[in-house]
Amino acid sequence: MMDDNSPYLPLPQPDDIPVREKEDAMGAYLMMFAGVAIAIPLPLLNLVASFVYLYLNRQKSRFVHFHALQALYSQIPVTILNMVLLAWLIVCLVNDFTFPATFKGYAIMVALVNLVDIVFSLIAAAKARKGLMYYYVFFGRLSYHQAFSKNTGPEKAPVNSPPSF
Amino acid sequence: MRFTVSLQESYSRVELLLRTFFGWLYMALPHGFLLMFVGIWSGILTFVAFWVVLFTGRYPQSMYEFQVGFARWGLRLRARLMNLSDGYPAFGINPVDENVVLELPYPEKQSRALLLLRLFFGWLYVGIPHGFLLFFRAIATWVIMFIAWWIVLFTGKYPESFHEFVTGFLRWSTRVNLYLLFLTDDYPPFTGKETEK
Repeated sequence: MMDDNSPYLPLPQPDDIPVREKEDAMGAYLMMFAGVAIAIPLPLLNLVASFVYLYLNRQKSRFVHFHALQALYSQIPVTILNMVLLAWLIVCLVNDFTFPATFKGYAIMVALVNLVDIVFSLIAAAKARKGLMYYYVFFGRLSYHQAFSKNTGPEKAPVNSPPSF
Repeated sequence: MRFTVSLQESYSRVELLLRTFFGWLYMALPHGFLLMFVGIWSGILTFVAFWVVLFTGRYPQSMYEFQVGFARWGLRLRARLMNLSDGYPAFGINPVDENVVLELPYPEKQSRALLLLRLFFGWLYVGIPHGFLLFFRAIATWVIMFIAWWIVLFTGKYPESFHEFVTGFLRWSTRVNLYLLFLTDDYPPFTGKETEK
């Protein structure tokens, strides 16, 4: 149980979360396919889509806010890796299609990271659809802190108060 | 689905001329520019929603409402550009337009079989028959719009039957679009007339 002095708000339980919010939370993880959706395989597109999704949905509830944040944060390192790969690939193509072994190693590593990202995102999406919290390493804690801290989120502590008599 | 464009008592000739000569500039351009980005987002949501429907049998409600809002926005603009309604169309997916109304009830469940059928054979059993007929309907609509333009210019009134015909074209094409975009499971009828009361 969470005591009243905890800096965090109590977590919503699956039965308390409307289906609509569960679906909104699930959708956040599926933004990783944005590039595929519009057939433009630019790594940055997925990040932009995740950001737009967060922006549009963050006020809906803390549960949705948490999942949208986590989805966005998890996209950042993958996007950086993908962008480096894309830039390196362009350099290799410009240089007479020569692909050094280090490039191949990096490409395989990035492919594996993407695979892991897809698997975990799908797991997280399925959990969110059931109204469950699901924490990624590091990003889970960060998102939880930002979404469920008492001083953040849609229902902030009241600032205005009545006059003292 | 219900789609209506109100027939006004009288139409402004000044607005008609303005739309005809400068509509592309002050209406189509700003709306088109924004609709392009909203359209990209809509494409992303359609892709995501497809997989969600495939696995859960339910279109996420927020995404559904966004798609319907996007369709409404496009129809508001088209109704003006086709001179069916006066006034400047509102920007955004949420505004309510009392002259141009699109109602699409949210389906709690959607058929996964139909979803796949549309994906693989939609072009065949929807695109070809409806596209073929809509092509000729579009030509007829252009002729009617041209005649109606002159009538409105001289009389300030839009003939009701002409108005219904042009609206019918929009209604028909909208039904086809909504069906192909997985927003409804009801196969579009081969008519521009309202089928639901």
